Amino acid sequence: MTAALETQALGKRYGSQWALRDCTLEIPRGSVTALVGPNGAGKTTLLRMAVGLTSPSEGSVRVLGLDPEADAGDALPRVGFLAQEHPLFGGFTVAEMLRVGRELNPGWDDDAARARIAELGLPLKKKVRSLSGGQRAQVALTLALAKRPDVLLLDEPVASLDPLARREFLQSVLEAVAERGLTVVLSSHILAELERVCDHLVILAVGRTQLVGSIDEIVSSHRLLTGPRDAAEDVARLHEVVRESHADRQTTLLVHANGHVYDSRWTVHELDLEEIVLAYLGQDAARRREEAVA
Amino acid sequence: MIWLSWRQQRIETLITALLLVILAGAFIPAGIHAADLFAQQHVARCANRQSQACGFAVGNYILSTGVLRGLLDSGWFNLIPGLIGVALATPILQDLENGTVRLAWTQSITRRRWIATKLGFAVGTAVLAGALFSVLFTWYEVPFDRIFGHWDKFDFEWFVPVAYTLFALGLALAVGVVIRRSAPALVVAYGIYVAGRVFVESWLRQRLITPLSVTFGSRSAGPNLNNAWVITQYPSNKAGHPFVGTPGVFQECAQTGSKGFKGLSQACMERHGAGFTHAVYQPASRFWEFQGIEFALFAGVGLLLIAFAAWRVLRAD
Repeated sequence: MTAALETQALGKRYGSQWALRDCTLEIPRGSVTALVGPNGAGKTTLLRMAVGLTSPSEGSVRVLGLDPEADAGDALPRVGFLAQEHPLFGGFTVAEMLRVGRELNPGWDDDAARARIAELGLPLKKKVRSLSGGQRAQVALTLALAKRPDVLLLDEPVASLDPLARREFLQSVLEAVAERGLTVVLSSHILAELERVCDHLVILAVGRTQLVGSIDEIVSSHRLLTGPRDAAEDVARLHEVVRESHADRQTTLLVHANGHVYDSRWTVHELDLEEIVLAYLGQDAARRREEAVA
Repeated sequence: MIWLSWRQQRIETLITALLLVILAGAFIPAGIHAADLFAQQHVARCANRQSQACGFAVGNYILSTGVLRGLLDSGWFNLIPGLIGVALATPILQDLENGTVRLAWTQSITRRRWIATKLGFAVGTAVLAGALFSVLFTWYEVPFDRIFGHWDKFDFEWFVPVAYTLFALGLALAVGVVIRRSAPALVVAYGIYVAGRVFVESWLRQRLITPLSVTFGSRSAGPNLNNAWVITQYPSNKAGHPFVGTPGVFQECAQTGSKGFKGLSQACMERHGAGFTHAVYQPASRFWEFQGIEFALFAGVGLLLIAFAAWRVLRAD
């Protein structure tokens, strides 16, 4: 079976600036993936290319095996997309927004859409403009879900929401995943709020993919080692060192381990996901500082 | 998609309809009145004829038809086709500006179809509105055209109003996709529309086909220029060169008899490089040719601009 989302050396340049570069990843069907990276890492660009809003400058992107631009007619009905600012037609009522969904999507599930709106207690006759941010996000999500997509792409879906609305929104996404078994990719610059709902992780940094995998794998393959400074090179030969810090005699290494670490000179600690992600993002920040100096 | 296009363009369509209804409300009664008076006052006999009696009859007729035609003469109504065209571009530009295109383009329809439907709707409405505008004034002008010819209200009649609305629509769309903000885009586009119209009307139009010119003796009746578009007319010598002397020549050439002033001596006037009239004009028979050229010009540029906007939107990231 083809992957839900697959990119090959994907890159996008605006003028002389690369928004995303050399991005290769594969997101399996049925997964819920967090796309994490600092602001400007190219998360939005990646998701927009996946739904055909933006053309790649190099490399390729496939959604369910289809080219989002060339095969737009086949790909679009199967991909749901929610842009960061939850765009809706401000002057339309909620009922009219549902009609938009019905008119523009052959696979539209009107009963489900109406049921969802009723469940959320949103008045059909109210103008979208007068809804709260959380309510608008829910209407936008309803539109994306009632289209009955196989893949749902959410760009910073909860960034603009208050904590309660965040919880409700993510709960809605989880329910849809449970009901329909769809693939979800959500981007965020904060991991904490996504960890609860995701089983896969992609870290984007300096516009490049840094890490792709299931969260279980990622957690089990990263270790924190403390040991003598002169042994650090031996470790680097076998494992990928993500971050290192040196004290007088002791060195601390955060490694992406290639199997077990069998060296008795090192003390091995387990890490939680947040520490791992921070290490990657810290590495990214250091690299950016170097680039800025250079 | 058709429902969505209509729903998003509803306000602009209603504004357009309202404008046309106001115009029709003013000009239909006035037009009926003008046609009735035309028959009652037997103005038809003066069509294409120059005489003092007819001068009075026509003057009287124009006065009795009311003030509306004077308003039309002032040229302000030329702004309306532009207003309609620019207004009809707003829904698309606002969609692009507010980012709501990203909502439309991530439903199940392709971007190509979205553009085709939205533009088709705007162009269709603009053409219809331009056509209604033209029908209203072409009908209203029927009696006046019998006196003055078609040239008189060239901008309001037949094909060109449709081209003007398309031109304004194309301008607003093209400027809008380039500067990406709808309010300034509409203002800039409207400014260009007015400038373009003024340029064509005051400079380009008369040069589209080399005008005819004629020189005739002041005493002869001369050619009938009643239904022609007279671009310029001035006193001249026999060769058609403008008269450059002083008004003193009139005193010198005046012939007086027992009853006072009898007229000017033609021989004397000719000696002083006068005595003729030179006219540069486009004959009535060229009206349709000019309508065709100007329609092609404005509609062509308008459609090119619309195509440019579509291409930009299709490629937009």
